[in-house]
Amino acid sequence: MRTFLISRVLQLLVTFWVIVTVLFFLFRLGLPDPTLALISEGLSPDDRQRVIAQFGLDLPLWQQYLVYLQNLATGELGMSFHYKAPVGDIVFERLANTLILMLPAILLAYGFGATVGTVLAWRRGSRLEGVGITAGLVLRSAPVFWTGMLAIFLFGITLAWLPTSGMRTLPYEETTWIGRVTTWDFLWHLVLPMLVIAAYYFALPMLIMRNTMLELIGEDFIEFCRARGFSERRTMYRHTARNALLPVVTQAAVTTGLAVGGQVVVEVVFSWPGLGREMFQAVRTSDYPVAQASFVMLASMVLVLNFLVDILYSKLDPRVTHAAAKG
Amino acid sequence: MRGSYRSGVALILGLSLVLTACTSADDGLEAVEGDPFDEIVLYTTTEAYDPIRYEAAFMVAEAWEELGFQVQVEPTEFATLLERFYDEQDYDATILGWSGRTDRLDPHHFLGTLYGGHTDPGGNNAGGWVNEEFDELFRQQQGEPDEDARRDQVFRMQEIAADEMPVNILFYRDEVVGYNNETFDGFVTLAGEAIYNEWTPYEVTPLTDDTVLTIGTPEEPDTINPLASTSVWGWKFMRMYYDKLVRLTPDVEPEPWAAESIATPDETTVEITLREGMTFHDGEPVTVEDVVFTFDYYIDNEFGYFMPFLSMIDSVETTDDRTVVFNLASPFGPFVNVTLSQIVILPEHIWSDIDNPADLGPDEIPTVGSGPLQFERYDRGEYKSLTVFEDHFTADRFDITGIEFNIYADAEGVFTGLQTGEIDMTAWRLEPGQIPLAEEAPELSVVNAPDFGYYHLTFNTRRAPFDDVDIRRALSHAIDKDTIVDVILDGRGEPGSSVIAPSNPAWHNPDITRYGYDLDRAREILVEAGYGWNEDGLLVIPH
Repeated sequence: MRTFLISRVLQLLVTFWVIVTVLFFLFRLGLPDPTLALISEGLSPDDRQRVIAQFGLDLPLWQQYLVYLQNLATGELGMSFHYKAPVGDIVFERLANTLILMLPAILLAYGFGATVGTVLAWRRGSRLEGVGITAGLVLRSAPVFWTGMLAIFLFGITLAWLPTSGMRTLPYEETTWIGRVTTWDFLWHLVLPMLVIAAYYFALPMLIMRNTMLELIGEDFIEFCRARGFSERRTMYRHTARNALLPVVTQAAVTTGLAVGGQVVVEVVFSWPGLGREMFQAVRTSDYPVAQASFVMLASMVLVLNFLVDILYSKLDPRVTHAAAKG
Repeated sequence: MRGSYRSGVALILGLSLVLTACTSADDGLEAVEGDPFDEIVLYTTTEAYDPIRYEAAFMVAEAWEELGFQVQVEPTEFATLLERFYDEQDYDATILGWSGRTDRLDPHHFLGTLYGGHTDPGGNNAGGWVNEEFDELFRQQQGEPDEDARRDQVFRMQEIAADEMPVNILFYRDEVVGYNNETFDGFVTLAGEAIYNEWTPYEVTPLTDDTVLTIGTPEEPDTINPLASTSVWGWKFMRMYYDKLVRLTPDVEPEPWAAESIATPDETTVEITLREGMTFHDGEPVTVEDVVFTFDYYIDNEFGYFMPFLSMIDSVETTDDRTVVFNLASPFGPFVNVTLSQIVILPEHIWSDIDNPADLGPDEIPTVGSGPLQFERYDRGEYKSLTVFEDHFTADRFDITGIEFNIYADAEGVFTGLQTGEIDMTAWRLEPGQIPLAEEAPELSVVNAPDFGYYHLTFNTRRAPFDDVDIRRALSHAIDKDTIVDVILDGRGEPGSSVIAPSNPAWHNPDITRYGYDLDRAREILVEAGYGWNEDGLLVIPH
């Protein structure tokens, strides 16, 4: 177990280093000079050169890379070129805004999706199954900006039940983040974008659950449950569904990791001040420090959650540890 | 099936060539032997970034092809386009634009885009055009203290540029914005700024009990640090809560503001008398030391964004407790109109302790000014607010009590806010599809504000054939600006003529040469210049 852990941690670190390196060079080589916009603002070539030196962009690329690695190792994310402010100040609050939208949405999607998947598998071949699968696939395939705008039009404008933009009603007095998100007004604003995201994510856990359930239904132990005279409900939820849940949990971990990046489109349609919008903006303005920090955070979340799932698996299934130790 | 398709295409191509040849023959021109020009690559924005410039490029290309050039339109991602144009200067012709910012109402900046001293990589004269007379006049107008004499120089420069055509000014695009006519009226419209400007807060009157004007915007300040912001949106917001020595009136006349009076004893000295009794929002008095400190602070910190307005200052000093003297190293005509109307007065007692002001975090940035409005809060991505500063010398001119900004992710969100009554006006332009909706709604009004910024097509005059003025003239006759404005802009704009727009009447020269859309005239120019067409109808340099 110990060797397994160490090898996994080393793998994690190497993967992280590779990602950080690729991101660094990808943005520097792939995006245009971030000081270009200053020309349109009327800066002379000399003054622009001064800004380039201020950003450290006049150093050779390998030197910039070493500085970046060194800073990252000490938790220093650098200064945003666009906002002229420390990157940490920019991204962390945005990250919190995104997570408070995405996590409930994913929880809802996976809770509801897994339940519906169970029922669909149990009612194999019924009309309900057809309707359920079609609905899930339609929601999954529909462009999110479209479902979002439809929701705004229907619930926000026509029925005027729910607010359509932002995290709260403007103006407001509250200044702290916690204070902001612990009001009824915030929940009120959360409903619509959260439902739109949940509707999009819902099909995946539903289908995974259904497929795994179908494999299990044929197994002997299910027959055995029935033979013992357990109720349908008990057989379905307590015995079959619990066993089918594992792949859904794995998928949930990956989805949660990626959720850091938010749903850019939903954040735009609902004017939600989240990290997805920030990442998009950072790439557009060649703001390397912000772009790198956001993508590194995204990558770390996926890596860490995958790592945890790996550990969890090795606990549940000793064969995983053996394979790793042999390899 | 496939073969017949190909032969069909070949047939059409062949026919069109024959037809072109016939047209040339009808004009009485004989096919000549010679080498056709290289294909012209015309760079423009992507359709997603700006459909207007994208469409315009294809219209221009079509007309140029009719003249016998081979043209390829190259839509390019915006930052890459800027890089190619300004830094690499590697293009034949490019369509780009300059935004109309208040300080550019003075002709200095726009004329500078044609100045021979600005042709280095990264400089504003990316087309590389050099004209001795123009350059001499540029240097003269810069130091010319007499406004009439300066106007003559500026007019003559526009004449030269319009005649030589290094840059073709395509059009000035109107800003179309909207407001709610049931909540407020009395909006002031300024060229280039529409109704979100320094004067609207003074002139609007609330029509309901709500005395706070709410503005909807998708555009945000990059930062509200006055030592770091390099964006129009940062400065438009900050100039509401900081004061300046001079303000430009809606007619673009300098109005003494924090300065009570301004004198220019000679062409390198500007003396201002500070208004009495002003205070900062924290209660401290505004003194001449604050003014001197501010200018020194900007210069010492080498703040690039303001350097074009400050680099001519030799020293700033006080002679008594009401007077500040600016000593200039060389005469600078726009000093009062531009420099003094752009630089905001910072409180020395707050900023003097800050050593690296450009590195402040968002929560550390001081927001104390002495302006007519007082900063309340700014939450990025969500909300900004200002209240009227009761101790300002103009406080009794306000009918409102404050201004709020609701920040949306895009123009769609802003318009929904306008429709649902969340906001009273938009800070920036409506999308083309929203304009008719706003016009239909009885509670909404639409404002068309002319712009003095412009969209241009720049020729790379370092390269053949664009080094030939006749080629540039002929190509300019083949740009149908009226149709561009009528069709692509839906009539909301004006065909371009000069780098100084007609909406800037003090400096625009109305009598310059205009190159109307006239392909026959274009062909005449080419013939007179000795060019001809080969049997394929392509323009050639005769052997």
